[in-house]
Amino acid sequence: MAMCPICDGEVSLGSDTVVGELIRCPDCGSELEVTGIDPAVLAEAPEAEEDWGE
Amino acid sequence: MRIGLLHSLIRKEEKLLIEEFNKHSHVDLVMLDDRKLIFDFHSKPKVDLVLERCINHSRAMHGLRLFENQGIPCVNTSDVARICGDKILTAVALADHDVPQPDLRIAFTEESALIAIEELGYPVVLKPAVGSWGRLLSKVNDRDAAESILEHKAILGSYHHSIFFIQKYVEKKGRDIRSFVVGDECVAAIYRASEHWITNTARGGTATGCAVSDELHDISLRAAGAVGGGIVAVDLFETTDGLVVNEVNYTMEFRNSITTTGVNIPQRMVDYLLKIQV
Repeated sequence: MAMCPICDGEVSLGSDTVVGELIRCPDCGSELEVTGIDPAVLAEAPEAEEDWGE
Repeated sequence: MRIGLLHSLIRKEEKLLIEEFNKHSHVDLVMLDDRKLIFDFHSKPKVDLVLERCINHSRAMHGLRLFENQGIPCVNTSDVARICGDKILTAVALADHDVPQPDLRIAFTEESALIAIEELGYPVVLKPAVGSWGRLLSKVNDRDAAESILEHKAILGSYHHSIFFIQKYVEKKGRDIRSFVVGDECVAAIYRASEHWITNTARGGTATGCAVSDELHDISLRAAGAVGGGIVAVDLFETTDGLVVNEVNYTMEFRNSITTTGVNIPQRMVDYLLKIQV
């Protein structure tokens, strides 16, 4: 379980979660990045940059 | 076997690829976060191959070249990234290999761009040479809009927005095709449909299955070959003269295309990587 850095809501992480993974807060809908697993830490996902894409 | 996964954020696609790699007990997956890497031309990462899955084009292209400099084979290669990441270089590669594409012009000033647009005839689509997900595309329907958009791009944009990539607008009746090429096979394809003229699924376009016809298979492989091969997604328009290639994507997204096509695309990608490593 981790805390959403935006709304302080609780976010549960799956057992296969990896560092760097993008998830969405179920409470506020913010896009979050998993920055730590043990302990679980979440950060606001970075904003899209000009050269992001496929 | 040690396979390096060059990445930044882990999106659905990377998660699916990790799951597929983990099914192979002889594969040791090494996570290479581009936000943490430091290259020094001396230290050689202990990996046998790098799969590129960055979200930034600039990091992908340069990271791949730096790994190649250390003798590590990469998928895709830095040359493929360089060509696919720049629509002008992609157009040149397609032209070099006689792969059909929409009529287009490239110009370096507002004045020459306006002449080029009027040569092509309205509507046209202005695209940044570097960019993805349908961002900053402009459908230009008349001269007033052309003059305004060209001026805005020249004054407000960074320098590369003053290199004008101008494509004749293709009336695609609400859909285009994306095909997925893995090595020497077009493994799957989808239609991308939208009421908006931009059909990217990143912009809300919806995906449905598309049968891989002989024509689609052939032109997809030709387009992939033109940019250097590997694992790419090819965007195509249907025209009265047949299929034409719009773009080729080298870090393809496929999350919406697995259920739609019934093809486990990440599995096919991993199988290909393990095969070329044998």
